[in-house]
Amino acid sequence: MSVLFEATGIQKAFSGIRALEDVSLKVEAGERVGLIGPNGAGKTTFFNCVLGVLRPDAGQVLLDGEDIGGLPVHRRARRGIGRTFQRIELFSDMSVREHLLLAERVRRGEGSLLRDLFGRGGPNADERRRCDEVLELLGLGDLADEPVEALSLGQGRLVEVGRALMTEPRLLLADEPSSGLDRGETDALATTLRQVQGERGFAILLVEHDVELVASFTERTYVLDFGHVIAEGSTAEVMSDELVRHAYFGDIGNIDSESRS
Amino acid sequence: MVLAAGTGTDVVRAILQGTPPGAVYALVALGFVLTYKTSGVFNLAFGAQAFVSAAMFFQARVEWGWSTVPALVLAVFVLAPLTGLLMERLIFRHLRTASAVSKLVVAIGLSVALPSLFETLTGFAGVAGRTPEGLVPDGATVFYDPLGVYPFSRDELVALGVAVVGMLGLGALFRFSSIGLAMRAVVESPRMTELAGIDADRVSSVAWMLSSFFAGMAGVLIAPRFNTLMAPDFFHLVVVAVAAAAIGRLVSLPRALIGGLGLGIFIALFRTFLPRWSADHPWLEPFQNNLTPSMPFVVLFGVLVLWPAIRRSPAAADPLSGVDPPPPSLVSATRSAVLTRAARVFGVCFLLLVGLTVWFRGDVVWVHLVTQATIMSLILLSVTVITGLAGQISLCQGTFAAIGALTVFQLADRWDVSVLAAALVGAVIAAVVGALLSIPVLRLGGIWLAIATLAFAFFFDAVMLKFSWVGGGDSALLQGHRVPRPVLGPWDLADDRRFLVLVVVVFALVSVFVIRIREGTTGLILRGLRGSEVAAESVGVSPARARMLAFAISAAIAGLGGGLLAIHQENVNYGNNFTPMAALFWVVLVVTLSARTVEGAAQAGAAFSLFNSVILRGDGIGWITRGHLPGFFPLSPKWRFVLFGLASIQFARHPEGLVEHGKRRATAGMDARLAARRERAEPGAASSTAQQDPPSPDPSKVAAVGKQP
Repeated sequence: MSVLFEATGIQKAFSGIRALEDVSLKVEAGERVGLIGPNGAGKTTFFNCVLGVLRPDAGQVLLDGEDIGGLPVHRRARRGIGRTFQRIELFSDMSVREHLLLAERVRRGEGSLLRDLFGRGGPNADERRRCDEVLELLGLGDLADEPVEALSLGQGRLVEVGRALMTEPRLLLADEPSSGLDRGETDALATTLRQVQGERGFAILLVEHDVELVASFTERTYVLDFGHVIAEGSTAEVMSDELVRHAYFGDIGNIDSESRS
Repeated sequence: MVLAAGTGTDVVRAILQGTPPGAVYALVALGFVLTYKTSGVFNLAFGAQAFVSAAMFFQARVEWGWSTVPALVLAVFVLAPLTGLLMERLIFRHLRTASAVSKLVVAIGLSVALPSLFETLTGFAGVAGRTPEGLVPDGATVFYDPLGVYPFSRDELVALGVAVVGMLGLGALFRFSSIGLAMRAVVESPRMTELAGIDADRVSSVAWMLSSFFAGMAGVLIAPRFNTLMAPDFFHLVVVAVAAAAIGRLVSLPRALIGGLGLGIFIALFRTFLPRWSADHPWLEPFQNNLTPSMPFVVLFGVLVLWPAIRRSPAAADPLSGVDPPPPSLVSATRSAVLTRAARVFGVCFLLLVGLTVWFRGDVVWVHLVTQATIMSLILLSVTVITGLAGQISLCQGTFAAIGALTVFQLADRWDVSVLAAALVGAVIAAVVGALLSIPVLRLGGIWLAIATLAFAFFFDAVMLKFSWVGGGDSALLQGHRVPRPVLGPWDLADDRRFLVLVVVVFALVSVFVIRIREGTTGLILRGLRGSEVAAESVGVSPARARMLAFAISAAIAGLGGGLLAIHQENVNYGNNFTPMAALFWVVLVVTLSARTVEGAAQAGAAFSLFNSVILRGDGIGWITRGHLPGFFPLSPKWRFVLFGLASIQFARHPEGLVEHGKRRATAGMDARLAARRERAEPGAASSTAQQDPPSPDPSKVAAVGKQP
């Protein structure tokens, strides 16, 4: 497999507080990778640096070997980085299908003001077909015309996944998809996500709090603590790692001194 | 280039000179921050409150011949706190949970309504040539020069003294009284204070009375600077207050105080040390002369655009905005097909009837009014695009329209270009200006965008307009016939009826465009951005590009409308048509009626142009009663501002607009009745329709059910 995404030596400080110190991470094409760590470990900061919401102080972000560090958020999205949100972000006042249609239309880049003015701005048959395919894949077919306000949180997460899929991502960044969901809902989401991922073959970087989900879903895992990667490797190995168990369950002060040494 | 000599004495002089106005600015900024922090209202009506007190003082002192002290007590110590209390009790208390933008709209409505309400109730009228009285006799002509550097006028000293006393008083109140302590706590964190068991309502009432008192005081202090008491001049005060408060990032009272003082001194320093470019480049003279008075707008715009912290301040990203319910979808998208068809047929019949009546029965005045209404509707469509579609409140639509009108004037007057071509050029220029303006203000959201566009409108009004290549000198601003009517092929549109036809055709075309934009890619993307900017970005939408497009489209429509208005009136008439205050009223009208539909803009345009003659002058009643008018007609045209300004209060309750709200209720009623009738005719079939109606049903399905015998 080839390396799809690579972040090297990412550093970020907020007025003196070093949120990230030299974080490096690789995702290969089609791989499922987890990024875990306790609260305040720097997961969200790292995520934002990858997406372009924040500019890292140092380090490179490469997609297919190409430096995308200077690109704004929407350009990275067009290069093939899709995402879902921890606090669900849907377009109010839109139906489920319209969420996907918007993403599809932007991906194609065919819409223009001129087409709108000639009354040709509506969705065409091909776009509708592609949206409906993804909706069926996610099991949202029956909800296509519902306004998103009518959905449950779990369904909303799926709509976010569907919306991201329409951009044909090569890497999907999932930001704590389990937050707000109970065990059953989380498992259902994981099952669907894995199925879709198997079918479409994109890579997933799962940023999670829920160790159980990461353990069952990912192939490799990185553990972040105090802005450092303290462990990486196959998920099974990482989960049995002493350091990781300390970071999650043990004495934080201890870990700190160990990781610095 | 001749530079002003910069010596130490000059600096001291400038600082002394800037201190008295700075102290007044600080007073206003304090009041502004006080209401903002205690009730979350970005009170743009502040200037109107200052005006009301200043006018009351003038009325009592000059018209009724009272002496200074009772007049001051009435205007500042009674009327001002009372106004504040009423505003809080009757209006803003009930809007506590409304979004920041809806509160802003209500405040704008009040800033339009309050001065007119005061003027109608008291019969006050600003008379040219009668300079407002200061608190002390000969305030502007007696000077004291304690330091031998800068002579203070009596008015300045009084302003300084009062402002200092006011600030000390506020400081003492905050330090030593219990309500002051509570207020300080509310300013820091309203929610924490409520949790501590303090009655936030009471605190908020007191804060409003205090801030309104400050506004009134500042109004009276500042009035002697103007030749005539006019509400728009006092509106500048708000801009200054917002600028000073923005320097303090709206978070703390001491910072607002420093911001106000600093702004006053900065303006004085600027005036002293501004290089005299105009000595070498005479064409810069208008810029040179008008830059200093418009400094607050420039500072405000600069602070908003260049200070990244502002963007992250709470107003820019209201943490509760995610809790706001989404705007409901349009009635036209949810009602049943039968009703849609009925509404269309009725609408076409109504428009035909109006058209035929005006064409065959209307006299010159009526044709003129209807033309005016149609052009206004066109201009207001620009608000539909930027506010209804893109969800941004822009307060500089008047400026865009003025750019269109001035382009027509310049091209026709200087180069004899055909006016219709000139109107199109004007639309293009307005679009370019709109797109350029959108670049610096893009990252600002909600309230801050509105304020930045307001600052731009004032800047254009105060500085750009004075250039003869923009404003065309006095001739374009005053009355007269400088713009000819066009000739289109065989038709000479000097004929009012033919011109009306042209205007209606243009309006219809632009309406179709707006609807198509709403339903096409552009509308989809803008709706997405309005729903969630981060999510739209995550699928590849460029917010900058989309908003720039929205601004450009909106500005183009306003520019085209402005051009047509200039052609219709055969001149620009900037002062009547396009001032920043007039444009504020437009926004209030449209969002109050309905910002998201073309009908909303049409109704707002009709209301703007026809309300005065049909309702207030009594022509409508007179027509019905065949000339027997009740005695209280004609009503003052100012009621238009009062009524629509106050109607904006409704906006907070029905953000979709009054028309849309009424339509929804009527439609729901009709649908229910239709369903009930069908139920009687054929049980079973109707109930399925009724179930499908409320969310957004597939129209084809409903139509199919409706067609069943």
